[in-house]
Amino acid sequence: MATRFSVPGRHGSTKAPGETRVVRTTDSPNCTGACGWLATVVDDVIVDLKPAADYPCTEYNPRGCLRGMAMTHLIYGPDRVKKPLIRTGERGEGKWREASWDEALDYIADKMIHIRDTYGPESMLLFNQVVGTGYVQKGAQVRMAALLGMSFATAYDFNGDISMGFTHTMGIDCVECETKSWGHAKTAILWSSNVFQTRIPDAKFLTTVAKQRNNCKIIVIDPRCSQTAKGADLWAPIHPGTDGLLALSMCFTVLEGGWVDWEFLRKYTDVCTLIREDNGQRLRASDVGMGTDMEFMVWDETTDSLAKLPTESLKLPEGLKPSFRGTQTVTIGGNQVKVTPVFQTLEDTIMRDEYKPEIVAKTCDIPAETIREIAKEYALNRPSSIIIGMGVNHRLHGDLTIRSILLLSALVGAHGKPGESVSIYSGQHHFRLDVSKWWFPDGKRPNGVPMHYFVMGEPTTTINPKIKYPKNGFKALFVSHGNPLVTEFSTPLKEAIDKLELFVTIDFSMSPTCDYSDVVLPAPTFWEKKELVGTSCHPYLQIQQEVVPPQYDSRTELWMVKEIVRRVDPTLFKEMDFEEPDIIDMMLASGGKEVAGITYEQLEKGPVRLNVHDPEVGCDEQFLEDKLFPPRAYPFPEGAQREFLKTGRMEFYKEEDVFRQFGEAIPIFKPAFSHLPVEDQKLPLSIVTPHSKWRVHSTHSNNRVLLNLNRGAVVEINPRDAAVRGIRDGDPVEIFNYNGSYKLWALLTETIKPGVLCVDHGWWDRYLGGGKYHSVHTHQKVKATHENYYLPAVYAPGQHWKDTRVDVRSVK
Amino acid sequence: MAKMSMLIDLTRCIGCDACTVACKQENGTPMDVFFARVLNVESGTYPNVKRLYIPVLCNHCEVPACLKACPNKAIVKRHDGIVLIDQDRCRGTGACVSACPYGNIILQESELWYLNEDEPYERDNVKPRLNSGVARKCTYCAHRVDEGLDPACVVACPTTARIFGDLDDPNGKLRMYMKEQQDETNRDPFCLLPEAGTKPSGRYLGPMASQNVSTLGQAAQPEVFEEATP
Repeated sequence: MATRFSVPGRHGSTKAPGETRVVRTTDSPNCTGACGWLATVVDDVIVDLKPAADYPCTEYNPRGCLRGMAMTHLIYGPDRVKKPLIRTGERGEGKWREASWDEALDYIADKMIHIRDTYGPESMLLFNQVVGTGYVQKGAQVRMAALLGMSFATAYDFNGDISMGFTHTMGIDCVECETKSWGHAKTAILWSSNVFQTRIPDAKFLTTVAKQRNNCKIIVIDPRCSQTAKGADLWAPIHPGTDGLLALSMCFTVLEGGWVDWEFLRKYTDVCTLIREDNGQRLRASDVGMGTDMEFMVWDETTDSLAKLPTESLKLPEGLKPSFRGTQTVTIGGNQVKVTPVFQTLEDTIMRDEYKPEIVAKTCDIPAETIREIAKEYALNRPSSIIIGMGVNHRLHGDLTIRSILLLSALVGAHGKPGESVSIYSGQHHFRLDVSKWWFPDGKRPNGVPMHYFVMGEPTTTINPKIKYPKNGFKALFVSHGNPLVTEFSTPLKEAIDKLELFVTIDFSMSPTCDYSDVVLPAPTFWEKKELVGTSCHPYLQIQQEVVPPQYDSRTELWMVKEIVRRVDPTLFKEMDFEEPDIIDMMLASGGKEVAGITYEQLEKGPVRLNVHDPEVGCDEQFLEDKLFPPRAYPFPEGAQREFLKTGRMEFYKEEDVFRQFGEAIPIFKPAFSHLPVEDQKLPLSIVTPHSKWRVHSTHSNNRVLLNLNRGAVVEINPRDAAVRGIRDGDPVEIFNYNGSYKLWALLTETIKPGVLCVDHGWWDRYLGGGKYHSVHTHQKVKATHENYYLPAVYAPGQHWKDTRVDVRSVK
Repeated sequence: MAKMSMLIDLTRCIGCDACTVACKQENGTPMDVFFARVLNVESGTYPNVKRLYIPVLCNHCEVPACLKACPNKAIVKRHDGIVLIDQDRCRGTGACVSACPYGNIILQESELWYLNEDEPYERDNVKPRLNSGVARKCTYCAHRVDEGLDPACVVACPTTARIFGDLDDPNGKLRMYMKEQQDETNRDPFCLLPEAGTKPSGRYLGPMASQNVSTLGQAAQPEVFEEATP
């Protein structure tokens, strides 16, 4: 805690006056770090934030970072939304009038009633960010949407945080170990992951623990010499978009080296299941009169006959030895059909010359001996971990890349132990408890529609039939805890917003998204409201306290939705009439085994570890308890994911027609930019947009303390690329392509690969030299293999922001 | 007598600037004033580039050049080794700023702040704690040390890269850590610019990561396909 003494001199120091109290709380920003803090409060002003450092597992202490600490300058910052605002000019013109809450809420409610009665309630869309970090307040908004029959777009998939490669393989959109587990690794591959900037509170498990205690070999694969490369033993500056090829080439090396963990493959994966030559489907027990169509067949080497994989457990029966290779002929409905194990197809494909390190080297720009070395370290220097960064995933074929990385991990069996996992800490859709009771009144869910279709203005021809696109289109949008007009490609999003009758933004800072709204409602920061907070980074559940009351004229989200429901449909108000402590109690009581026995009173005293393994290694129930994949994705019921992972094992063969139609039944490499129009492909530069140390997405873009440390909006460019364009360090420049352009300043640096530009993610437009951040990104597109099932934020379309190509020029 | 000192382990440091912000908050410094900076070093030519973060702060030297230089005798060295600039005695001559071989003393003619003037956070809680027009620097958070606490930058460091203690205490945590690292990771502590002759108390341990680079060294060229594929 802060001492509040002045700088001491010859005569000691004096303590500042004022009533002082210290509050233990946690924050819940979109980094999902959920760090514990001690806030020093003087006369109801937060004057100091220091890490609480009170986690029972002391290795986690202290948690916190510069962004968390600098939050005071947003709480009291000049951009704070202090009163409800109603637009008086054109959208984005910046003309507002301050309104009372009654006036603003009546205005919104009147519009909502009109839209509901004219177009149907599903024409109103809620889009709130990172619901997994705030179960009470963000949940209240979802509950309102459910009660009123509104549509709900999960931000997770629109952000591109959803990792469909994980869903295709593991049946869940992301898998993480708790970060403490990193400390056990002897080999750690950071695959475009920059944890020194993006996971500051957790980075110690790589440096202080893994490196210092185990002399862990840390390998960074990244086109930039990222900040994390500072801590690496090997940096491989890969050509952007070729990560999947590198992964498959490492698979080649593992197969060639004979470093395969056969028992792992037999037990945890589908590679021994048999694929029918006649229709490309898996051979089922029902095909051969041995059981149901949800039981899958393998060839047993022990008995030299067909056998079923167990459906109750991953554990194989005594004596069963599924075969990896060889085609068999079986009789199906009187016909002779050839069947081949998945592994045979994988091996035949991967062992082709195109995946040989010597061939791959030039495309990836990594020497063949290095590819072999990384693969060997990963396979043999155990435990070994992979942490995937979002740059890999933000590509149209990022799903294939992640499937390839997961294949590599499965071949060597690098899962299920401390220090062994493939983790992607993407945006936190990983709910720590079942929130259904609060979020979905009497089981009623809002109408789930991915935001992609809102932006595109219509459904695709391949849209999943489960998605009910509103028959009259969208007429209202509510954005909360987010700033999509900065963090997403803003031009088409603005065009979609222009068609709306109502656009409401709920925020504490007057963001560029607020600037474009019809009504802005002032929200409290996470220092001014009670919340139940979980994260996938660490397994502690925490209560966020109302350290100071909601500042200025802000009100909690719970209060806001109560007041809206009261106005729009008073008969439903009783369904919303709860206070935060009741809601937390309700969720703890119905939250499932992870929170069984955890009480509100315990949480009020400090962080409480969930009922999970120590350390959590990712897919613990599968790897440690032999339960079938996939791990349950809260808040969906058990079994909801089964349809897209029918074998209950890590699937490296996807049998659905759409995968075979696109040649993606097994993980293969597809060039990143090949789906772009030819003139885009010809643009000379690619661009990466990593998260910056000074921001959480676009939050803190306007934090004056962090701006004081930051160097302004720059594009990192290699001096060779700059020289041919006549660009000098510090010059104003414009990044452009066929989609748009924006201006900023050049930063010449040797830390970036020639041919690649780098601009930190999340700059508010006003800090640029002109134009809109994100305006050079690719147009919205949905991959059909992301549409063949739908489970919001678990099986849903991803994003491909990084697939854009650009050029840069000097501007005078 | 003690010799308070800070050891910074460059293997642990991730260059996150948490120390810088914690220091600003604890000491309420104005815009552009940073007692605890982190130097971001990039060296070499692509692809053979290396990065290093070097956190720097007042070294609380045994023979402080600033103390000798001050014409107003405003700088004192306490019995525990902490070097302080007396805010009441300093006349802002800037002699110490010129004398410090590390560039760790800051003197501003006027101050700029971060928030609107009517915000109580700065108006009531930050600005009153500092005198204007005087030289300022890191005090090792002497006001915290006097309360038995570690400096703000130490408690806020998320990688525990900063270790604060008495360099003269053979059984203290500082010496213990140095010994442990000599034994286990074969690293010896060093200080910055020993040739300046001020006998700094600050110590560093070097980075362990080998930072090799492996690439064919080509530029990322566009690859053009005849037509877009789905």
